[in-house]
Amino acid sequence: MDFKHTKLANGLNIVGEVNDSSQSAAVGFFVKTGSRDESAEINGVSHFLEHMLFKGTDKLSALEVNAAFDRTGAQFNAFTSEENTVYYAAVLPEYLNEVTDIWCQLMRPALRDSDFDMEKNVILEEIAMYEDMPHFDVMDKARSLHFKNHPCGNSVLGSSDSIKALSAAQMREYFSRRYSPENITVACCGNFDWDSFCKLIEEKCSSWQSGSATRILSECNGSLEKVSIKKENLSRQHICQVWPSVSAQDKRKYVASLLGMILGDDTGSRFFWSLIDTAIAEVASVQYEYLDGAGAIYSYIRCSKENYELVSETIEQELEKLFKDGITQAELTMAKNKVLSTVTLKNELPMGRLIEVGFNYSYLGQYKTIEQEVASIKAVTAEEINPLIKDFDIRKFTQVTLSPAS
Amino acid sequence: MTKKIEHSRLNNGMTIIAEPMDVASVAFGIMLPCGTARIEEGCAGAGNVITDWVMRGAGEFSSRELMDKLDSLGLHRGSSVGTYKMTLSSSMEASCLESAIQLYADIIQHPTLDAEQFELSKQLALHELAGLDDNPNQKVMLKLRELFYAPPLGKPAIGYQQDLSNLTAEKTREIIKENFNLSDAIITIAGKYDFEKICDTISSLFDKPQAPFECNIKKGDRKLGYTHFDHDGSQVHIGLMVEVPPAKDKDYYNIMTAVSILSGGMSSRLFTEVREKRGLCYAIGANYNSLKDRAGISCYAGTTPDKAQETLEVTLAEFKKLSDGVSQDELDRAKIGLKSSLIMKSESSMSRAASLGGDFTLLGKVRSLNEIKEKIDAVTQDSVLEALQRCNFKDCCIVSIGPKEVNATGIL
Repeated sequence: MDFKHTKLANGLNIVGEVNDSSQSAAVGFFVKTGSRDESAEINGVSHFLEHMLFKGTDKLSALEVNAAFDRTGAQFNAFTSEENTVYYAAVLPEYLNEVTDIWCQLMRPALRDSDFDMEKNVILEEIAMYEDMPHFDVMDKARSLHFKNHPCGNSVLGSSDSIKALSAAQMREYFSRRYSPENITVACCGNFDWDSFCKLIEEKCSSWQSGSATRILSECNGSLEKVSIKKENLSRQHICQVWPSVSAQDKRKYVASLLGMILGDDTGSRFFWSLIDTAIAEVASVQYEYLDGAGAIYSYIRCSKENYELVSETIEQELEKLFKDGITQAELTMAKNKVLSTVTLKNELPMGRLIEVGFNYSYLGQYKTIEQEVASIKAVTAEEINPLIKDFDIRKFTQVTLSPAS
Repeated sequence: MTKKIEHSRLNNGMTIIAEPMDVASVAFGIMLPCGTARIEEGCAGAGNVITDWVMRGAGEFSSRELMDKLDSLGLHRGSSVGTYKMTLSSSMEASCLESAIQLYADIIQHPTLDAEQFELSKQLALHELAGLDDNPNQKVMLKLRELFYAPPLGKPAIGYQQDLSNLTAEKTREIIKENFNLSDAIITIAGKYDFEKICDTISSLFDKPQAPFECNIKKGDRKLGYTHFDHDGSQVHIGLMVEVPPAKDKDYYNIMTAVSILSGGMSSRLFTEVREKRGLCYAIGANYNSLKDRAGISCYAGTTPDKAQETLEVTLAEFKKLSDGVSQDELDRAKIGLKSSLIMKSESSMSRAASLGGDFTLLGKVRSLNEIKEKIDAVTQDSVLEALQRCNFKDCCIVSIGPKEVNATGIL
């Protein structure tokens, strides 16, 4: 594997990892913008804008864009988070240039009023869809409660009200501020030719005007509040806890990730043995998520209304025990082995590599080989995890519970 | 690009199918004839209990020891209960394959099946079933499949409340004894492995004599038409399913192409008509779903109550319009989409191991990637049209879950 990097005069970063043995390639545009970069007035604009990019340019209609993508057989899509909007495609090598060319064009979208009005309906449907998914709903509410006044608490989708009130002019203004080339990283991984890829990006993207998209970073210790919400149509108890943790820039990222796994991986974790093996809850998972300048560990637990108290007490005991005694060497070894096999499986696909390589560059301006990633995981010791449990007192967290009304 | 698919058969009838890949990982799936349709009447959901129970101790290992052993190998484990087969699967770094297979040999042949542990597995299965009520989009598709195929074929793996409540450890032990029959079991392996070595390991671990396994699954009576379930949520979740030829049929590739035209990419007909032009839904899509002798195109749409009727009408109209024919441009896009996705999926050992097992169960053989590519290439506008004209999209099964019913009488 061969890493490449170059930067256009307007600030657009291009990174690539060439792997000749791949059957395919994956290309992505990583825009450093998301709901944390929105004001309350335009909440949901980043995600709505992601949809609008597919609506075409001054030269391409939405239906032409869809047909052009599908002619390449690409698997393409986009996603928006609190701080990233990522457009990607996995494609056979012979179609890579064609797909990349479409993406380059779409990065300067028309943002037509008529498309905006029609797509607003789709966004409102998406919001309604997630309301019917308590798993998503509880995590969204817990994130907001945890981050509170910190911008990372902003909802990615926005609310029905904020979306209804949003205008196409506000979106265009947001676009011009956030989609400037120095705020975007283009990445490509897999079987492709670096020189011709760069040539194409240069040809298509050099004319983009530089801007000054910025983001003020601040840490967040979390509100540590606890809220319970009753909902008429629920039959189970849905719980999400949020702990403050280390940021994307922090060297302890891998330490936090392993801690999350020890606490709540699907199998063999503390929550697995205390909640799932004992059948008092049917779902219990924990995951660490790094953010720009901040970080958090999230849990999601689902159980019956009757077991809720028992589940809460059990969690409290587990966290107390973890705080007091720390982790064992044996559980660290198991967690590492699971992470390492995940890394192996994920990296076999150009798409898996793309996300890793793209985010690494977008956040840190760095490249890490698979070997370096593996070495970082292997190097983590219990002596690093245990202080983290104390520093971010694991016994204290924010919590939202959605419960059945009757 | 396609490497040779390797086969072997043990004396007791167990089949090994493997495909080498240039990767650092390996994945395997052990498929036992313990699918939903093979589990007797009154025990729906037993499969889900079994996949959990057999992991709670096996051979000389306690539940905890077994889990620790599996986790120490870093295995990514999975289990699923299909119509015909129950699959226990794992993917891992290639050097762990032998050790993993050894543990699974115990799990399958010498599970402890402790009665106290049974109660926990049963509780989990009951909880999971209860949780389905909070997932209307998942529930609607399970209900749809159940009505369309009819029990025993359509019986949901998640089970029924009554059946699960009545299930005993003793009864479940009997089901395991009868259905964990190696003469009809398959092990699929994809990724990096040494075929000769792994066959030796499997033979030494699994080659105990087995009585031949016979099981005839009767077809039940389908319930077509419209069924609604009340749920006070934000959206009406609509599922609909029509009959098409199964995977073993000569028209399979024509139908796959038609499904791709209907719902393959963003330029597909459903996405264009329902979402792009009318903004009726965020989630709209159709899939091909096949059993051995029956198959259907199943479609999901989630939409707010006021738009539900129009969503259903526009969706169904697109199904019916298919038999008017497809354009060359649509056909070309569908074919390249199918081929690309095939090649890209073949890069993952997990996905390849699952495909080998799926093929063998439905077709009794495994198709090579080249064979599939050639068949897709051979599809023409005419062949798709002929296949579609043989289908009857009027006999449709529709299920909705939500705060409002749709009016399906005029449509069906």
